[in-house]
Parts: sequence; structure tokens; C-alpha cells
Amino acid sequence: MDVADTLPGHNAGLVALLTKLQPLLDSGRMDNVVDVLALVSDLVDMLDGAMVEKLALLFEQATAVSWNVGNAARMATAQTQAEETPPSLYGLLSLLREPDTRRGVALALRTLNVLGRQL
Amino acid sequence: MSKHIVIVGGGVGGTMLANQLVTKLYSEILRGEVCITLLSNSPDHFYKPAFMYVAFNQFFDEELKRPERSLLRPEIDFRVDEVTRFDFAGQHLHTRSGKRYGYDFLVIATGCVPAPERIEGLKEAGDHFYDYAAARRLAERLNTIERGRIFISVSFPKTPNVPHQCGIAPVETTLMLDDLLRRRGVRDKVEIIYTYPSVAQLLRNCLFMQRPVGEALPGIFEQRNIRFQRDFTLGRVDAERRIAYSEEGEEQPFDILMATPPIRAVDVVLESGVSQAENDEGWLPTNHETLQVYGLQGVYVIGDTVDLPISKAGGACHNQAPVIANNITAEIRLGAPNSVYEGRVQAVAQMGLNAGMPLWYDYAHDVLPTPPSKLGGLLRTGFNRGLYWAVARGML
Ligand SMILES: Cc1cc2nc3c(=O)[nH]c(=O)nc-3n(C[C@H](O)[C@H](O)[C@H](O)COP(=O)(O)OP(=O)(O)OC[C@H]3O[C@@H](n4cnc5c(N)ncnc54)[C@H](O)[C@@H]3O)c2cc1C
Repeated sequence: MDVADTLPGHNAGLVALLTKLQPLLDSGRMDNVVDVLALVSDLVDMLDGAMVEKLALLFEQATAVSWNVGNAARMATAQTQAEETPPSLYGLLSLLREPDTRRGVALALRTLNVLGRQL
Repeated sequence: MSKHIVIVGGGVGGTMLANQLVTKLYSEILRGEVCITLLSNSPDHFYKPAFMYVAFNQFFDEELKRPERSLLRPEIDFRVDEVTRFDFAGQHLHTRSGKRYGYDFLVIATGCVPAPERIEGLKEAGDHFYDYAAARRLAERLNTIERGRIFISVSFPKTPNVPHQCGIAPVETTLMLDDLLRRRGVRDKVEIIYTYPSVAQLLRNCLFMQRPVGEALPGIFEQRNIRFQRDFTLGRVDAERRIAYSEEGEEQPFDILMATPPIRAVDVVLESGVSQAENDEGWLPTNHETLQVYGLQGVYVIGDTVDLPISKAGGACHNQAPVIANNITAEIRLGAPNSVYEGRVQAVAQMGLNAGMPLWYDYAHDVLPTPPSKLGGLLRTGFNRGLYWAVARGML
């Protein structure tokens, strides 16, 4: 017998829900769903403002870094592909003369420096 | 010849749109057929909703801003330069540094500013949380008041059917105030009175600009012993005697007057002479579907500067940016705009210091209030502290 048929009175919402749940009940997998709900509920209980703040900051830092690196790679790829021949040695050196390149090199060297400091 | 798109304003509307335009028009940008310039009068980008939290000692100045350059894709030419004059007929604009920028497409994203000076005595005696300095002053008062009366007033623009900034903010801050005073243990000695003006967009004699929320508010306020009153349109304030007078002829004493003040567009928009808004408020006449400015060639407007009936909110910009990005792209590629804004706004309302209520609405549907929850509150914290910056970058 369908669980929906055992309901006293008629509640369209409950009937719709139970009809959806019927296959899970029939195959005995409903326990897993209840376990997942309990786990989610435990997680919500454990989360507080301070933890969400830390997670959110981590999210921002991770997305900002991947966005920056992705943007740089995309733009550099497009510019490099647009060059018909590879740059000459002189061309590479004149790239180094641009302030933005030097800032980028400084960033890469400083990142290595700080990585080294943390070893 | 290359098409030049100029966006004025590095707030949430301008920033999101600039990034989305780069994505949409990437092939044209690579071929040098389109270039995008963003002009802003500040090197920093502010998450403005955080000012509300500053008033409750929950956000530091350093946490609510980021360098604008760091939020923009590298293809965008970003300049810190204030626009001082638009010449729409000549399709160019002038800046504080003396430069002149020509454009094929212009997007005005300069937001709005609080204008408490437009109500006699309000600037001197009232408090608000719509900019950082004012919010800090209010925080000091809210954290030291021991007893007395906190009076809350909301002023709407005089332009018919245009809302004040962030419609739900007065309700959010009233509930946050109740929680703060309870935490401080002084709530029983401080009276809170929430008031709303007689005319709120299309509604009259209500507690909120949309009926379903307005009808839910008395129950919420009664539970927390917050007094509420309809039909109080702030007319003037006696700064010395600390009395607020309504246009309806009532007077109310206060110790703190926590006001949602009048607002207006920024000077350069007011002075452009394009607005037909009442009371020199400066809202631009906006096509509610395409978001073009009526009567001007190639000019769009996003965010708080529109004259539309929807909330002046970041959640509105979030839905307007893709429409404008599509329309400018379609104008360039197909010769005419092709996207329609349906008035959608979404947000997570902060209902007290710990609870949140996700909400959405559009031109055709009002907000349907749902019970505020802890999970909603955590979602709002996550948005305030991290998700927002991904939204500004156009990632979400
Ligand atoms: C206290 C408070 C709480 C809020 N809460 C919410 C909320 O919970 N949810 C929500 O969705 N929204 C909320 N909002 C509203 C939201 O912040 C605004 O709707 C949003 O910032 C509007 O974006 P904008 O791009 O139109 O303008 P803004 O973000 O104000 O940006 C305008 C930009 O233009 C620049 N500018 C101005 N004049 C010039 C000029 N002449 N030349 C060059 N640049 C110029 C400014 O420096 C600024 O960068 C809140 C706002 C406040 C103040």
C-alpha cells in the first residue's frame, strides 16, 4: 500500500511529498536521507558568525587569486598569439623595460622570497 | 574604427557591468574594435551595505573596501578622475583633470548620495547609516544610550513612485537596534518607535512600500515590543529641543533620530539637465526594459541613478548589468538592443543581528516574507564577507 493512502483527510502537499518519497521508502534508502538531514542540521548548529566570516574570507582570497592569474594568462595568451613571429631577444628586453612587467617580476620574486621564508 | 564604451562610477553597478562587458565583447576587444574605460572619483570600491553594520559596531572601515583596480579585469582602462560635465550632444564628457573623453556608448553608474540637509534640522540633529562617517557617529550613540527614545523615520524621494535606497534597510536596522539594546541590557529603558510616511510609492498609510511585508510587520514588531506608527512624513526637526515634526502636523520628541534621509543623484548628473525628476532629485528618465536613457543617443544608466520603481539596491544592479551588457553588445553586433530588464531584485535581508530572510521581487511580484532563520543570517554574513567581491568581479 502507498503511504499516501494511509493519510487521514486530504492534504495535497503531503500527498505530493510522500509520492516523491515512495521509491526511497520502498527500497529502504530513506534512512540515508534522514542521516544526511541530521548531518546538515549538525553543521548548521556548529556554524557561527565567526566561522562563516573566516570561510567567506578564504573564499574571497581563493577566488581573487585564481581570477587574477586566470585574467593574466588569458590576456598574455591573446597578446602572444597575436604576434606573427616570436619576440626577438631585444623585444623581450624591451618588455622588461615596461613598468608593469617590472612590477610583475618583483611580485614573482617577492612571492618566492616569502615562500622561502616560510620553509 | 574602434568603439569606445565609457562607464562612469566604480560602485557595484559600474564594476560588475565593466567586467561583464569584457566577457561579452572579448573577441572585439582582442581585435582592437572595442575598448572599455571606467572613470571613478575614488580609487577604492566600497561595499556600501556594510555601513549599516558599522552603525552596530560589526564592520571595520578596512574590511568594507578594496582597491577598485583589483576588482576589474585587466582589459579595462581604469582612471581615477571625476566627471564634471556631460556633453551628450557631442558624445563626450569632461573630467576634473581637464581631460575630454569621447564615447560611442556611455553608462552612468554614479549612484546616489544622502541629502539630510534637504529637511530643516535633520543634518544637525538626526543620525543615519548611509555613509561611513555618519554610521560611526550613530554607532557611538547607540552604544552609549542608557535610557530614552529612539525615533526612526523614513523619507522617500518626492519623485512619484521612486523608492529610497535599499527598501528593507529601515526594517533591518530597527530589528538590529532591538537586538543590540537587548545585548547591552538597556532595552527596557529605551523606547523604539518605527514610523513610515503617508505616501510610500504606490501605497498609502502603510508600514512598508510593499503590502505583504507591510502586513507582516506589526506581528514582528509587537513580539519585540517595538512601537510603530503610520503617516509620519518627516517635515522638519527642531535640533535644539530635539523634536521631529511631521508634515501631517504631529510632533515627536527623541533622544536619537535614526533617519533614512532624502537622497539625490550626484552633482554632475543633476547639472546635466536631463532629469525630469521632481525636487531636483536628478533621477534619469530610464527605459524600464532596455535601461537606456530616454532622449539620448547611446546612453545607458544602471543602479541608484535610475527613476524606476524598483529598490535602489546592489541586488537590482546585479540583474541590470547583464541586460546592459547584452544590449550594448547587440547594438554593436546587430544594430539594436535585444535584452529586457524585468525589474528583478534579490537580497538576503538582515532581520536582527543573527537572522536572515532571502527575498526577491520584480515589476510584477512583491516580496513574499518568509520566517527569518539562522541559516539566512549566516548566508548574509557569507555574502557580506566574501561572496560580494566575487559578485563585483562579475564571477557570480
Ligand atoms: C546603508 C546601506 C545599506 C544597503 N543595504 C543593501 C542591501 O542589503 N542589499 C542591496 O542590494 N543593496 C543595499 N544597499 C544599496 C546599494 O549599496 C546601492 O544600491 C548600490 O551601491 C548602488 O550601486 P551604484 O553602482 O548605482 O552606485 P554606488 O555603489 O554608489 O557607486 C557610485 C560610484 O560612482 C562614483 N562617482 C560618483 N560621482 C562620480 C563622478 N562625478 N565621476 C566619477 N565617479 C563618480 C563613486 O565614487 C562610486 O564609485 C545599501 C546601501 C546603503 C547605503
